[in-house]
Amino acid sequence: MELSRRNFLVAMGLGTATVMAGCATTSGSGAPAADASGPAQGDITFLCALFEGATGKETLEGNLLKQFKEKYPDVNVTVDYTDYGSLNEKITTGLASGLMPDVVTLGVGWIPPFAYKNAIAPLPESLATRYTYEERVLEPSRFDGKLYALPMVLDTRIVAYRKDFFEEAGITAPPKDWAELREIAKELTVRDKDGTLQRAGFDPFSIDLRQCWETFLFGNSGELFSADGREVLFDSPEGVAALQLFLDMVADGSADFALTTEAGQPTTLQQGTSAIMMTNNSLYVQLQQQNPELVDKVGTFVLGNTAPAMLQGGTMISQSASSKNPAAARALVEFLGSPDAVLVASEQRGSVPAISDLRDSDYVKGNPMVAFALENLGKARSEGGTPAWMEIREKIKPTLETAVVGQQTAEQAIAQLAGIADDAIARL
Amino acid sequence: MAGTDLVAAPPRTTPGSSRTPAARRRLERGALYLVLTVIAVVMVVPFVWMILTSLKTPQDLAATPPSFLPAQWAWGNYAEALAAAPFLTYARNSLIIAVSHTAINLVIASMAGYALARLRFRGSELVFIGFVAALMIPTYTKIIPEFLIVRFMPLFGGNDILGQGGTGWLDTWWALIVPGAVTPFAVFLFRQFYLDLPVELEEAARLDGVSELGIWARIMTPLVKPAFITVALLTFESSWNNFLWPLLVTRTDSMRVIQVGLSVFRTENDTQWAFLMAGTTLATVPMVVLFLLGQKYFVRGFANAGIK
Repeated sequence: MELSRRNFLVAMGLGTATVMAGCATTSGSGAPAADASGPAQGDITFLCALFEGATGKETLEGNLLKQFKEKYPDVNVTVDYTDYGSLNEKITTGLASGLMPDVVTLGVGWIPPFAYKNAIAPLPESLATRYTYEERVLEPSRFDGKLYALPMVLDTRIVAYRKDFFEEAGITAPPKDWAELREIAKELTVRDKDGTLQRAGFDPFSIDLRQCWETFLFGNSGELFSADGREVLFDSPEGVAALQLFLDMVADGSADFALTTEAGQPTTLQQGTSAIMMTNNSLYVQLQQQNPELVDKVGTFVLGNTAPAMLQGGTMISQSASSKNPAAARALVEFLGSPDAVLVASEQRGSVPAISDLRDSDYVKGNPMVAFALENLGKARSEGGTPAWMEIREKIKPTLETAVVGQQTAEQAIAQLAGIADDAIARL
Repeated sequence: MAGTDLVAAPPRTTPGSSRTPAARRRLERGALYLVLTVIAVVMVVPFVWMILTSLKTPQDLAATPPSFLPAQWAWGNYAEALAAAPFLTYARNSLIIAVSHTAINLVIASMAGYALARLRFRGSELVFIGFVAALMIPTYTKIIPEFLIVRFMPLFGGNDILGQGGTGWLDTWWALIVPGAVTPFAVFLFRQFYLDLPVELEEAARLDGVSELGIWARIMTPLVKPAFITVALLTFESSWNNFLWPLLVTRTDSMRVIQVGLSVFRTENDTQWAFLMAGTTLATVPMVVLFLLGQKYFVRGFANAGIK
């Protein structure tokens, strides 16, 4: 088994956190609603995995928090910046030590684990209706029927393709199911005389393999877990078939695991080494910056086998259940979940705003991939769905990779993963 | 009777080896320079690539195949990178922590290593085994327990005598400097060096009435300078590059370190390579300056270590 920093922290940290937090409250019954009825005042901390990059700090502190301060002059916000990769560690250590930040950013799928551990407080249901949200967008913000977070930005996993390569091959429309995908990918694969791959028909590996597999699982009408999060469902034939598809495409030469690129590197689509790829809606900003000549040559579509599905990641804003200034923390959550803040955050990182009302904004109109994602939010599906998700999510990618590199079959890898997930759920 | 041939035999020559010794030395030296040049280029290229990347535009970075030199020199990347966060504060903090760690590790670990190597006391072997065992504990398994110790430190950060009520050492220099200042590896290394020294030196000093501290400081320690240089370099480098611990125990910009600051350029969906490389170039400067200032001692130290 892979020995990684995160594995250790998840195993030890959440265990410790459970002991520490569990001394005061019981797990699984939901945190007591924080009393946010008093005046918004006092010092609060905001653990922030958003507003990264060269302009992030200025956007948050120079713009948004100044507006917040004007509205709530008695609230002082200390921002604790972290990168997304270390967010879980920051929350885990905060939780274990009883110093949970007052306001936290959380990823999609993270609400059930932290709500189950009473780390975050439920929010009033009225916040779910004050602006227009797609129900699919709000789904990951809920646990046990209660709203625990407000979605800020979404990062959707979509399929992008090179229109010029399609035209050269005389292909007029994107594939509608996996069979068509395989046919088109084979047709668009190019090798030189020596048989060396020059262009892969399909690149599923340049995004996180976990998220890629989940997209195909949902597109094959599969599910990750039962509605109560206590039963593993991804070890179904649909889940195995989703992974098998990647293996088959590697075997027929239309996909190549060695083609993966790092975030920020020009994608295989930009380099012309793939014709179709799984990507993120932030690709549009990257194209504008790196290859403006390709902006009109790249198209997007939502793929499915039996049901079109688009994986929805993103960042939500939540309130600590143990905040000493719950009214101030609630005020910041409400402020950061408002359209002005959501739009600024989305624009700063090229993400999809979580509030549907913003589809008419200049930003959305000027970013075709964001607009495309917003139009298709009805097909969005989210990962997670079990309180054991933080432990399970770290194991998915390395386990699936064992099948991709030929160490075991797709069926064996999915069965192994299901065993890991069953064990994690049993420990709840 | 066979006579003795008094005429010296001419030197044996083999085809192709008619060069004079001087010519052969020149050839060997030339080959040596060639090999050293290749090694030097291999070592320097990543740094040059880092600097060139820091000066590229997004279009240059996306060029296929990659270009070596920027088509357009984007010097503004440095200004933009520096404007993203208070990097001077981060660099100052990193320097304070790295220097503190190095100084503490050199003093405490060398004393511990000396005691384990030269002093006989009950349980010394057990203590040494404890240090060796500590070497085998993965760093990340210690993070949560260390974090809790720091958080519940009595009488600090508003904590009472039982460590409750405040934040302990969190977001303070204590949390950044004390945990991890002394490493088991350094103790182990010093012990091995002190073990090799002749016992006569120590005994002579004792006969002359030198105290144990004096023997450690004035007699034995000057003989293990290579160990000090090795530990100093390793400690400074690892402290300067530490990321996770400073990220976990700090939350304000005034306490953050350079590696945490640089992570701002790695976002969930993107990495701003030009800014990251600009920041990394600046972060590398102190290490380069440190080496240039002390290279005579470093080289001598490693040379001595080799002779030893």
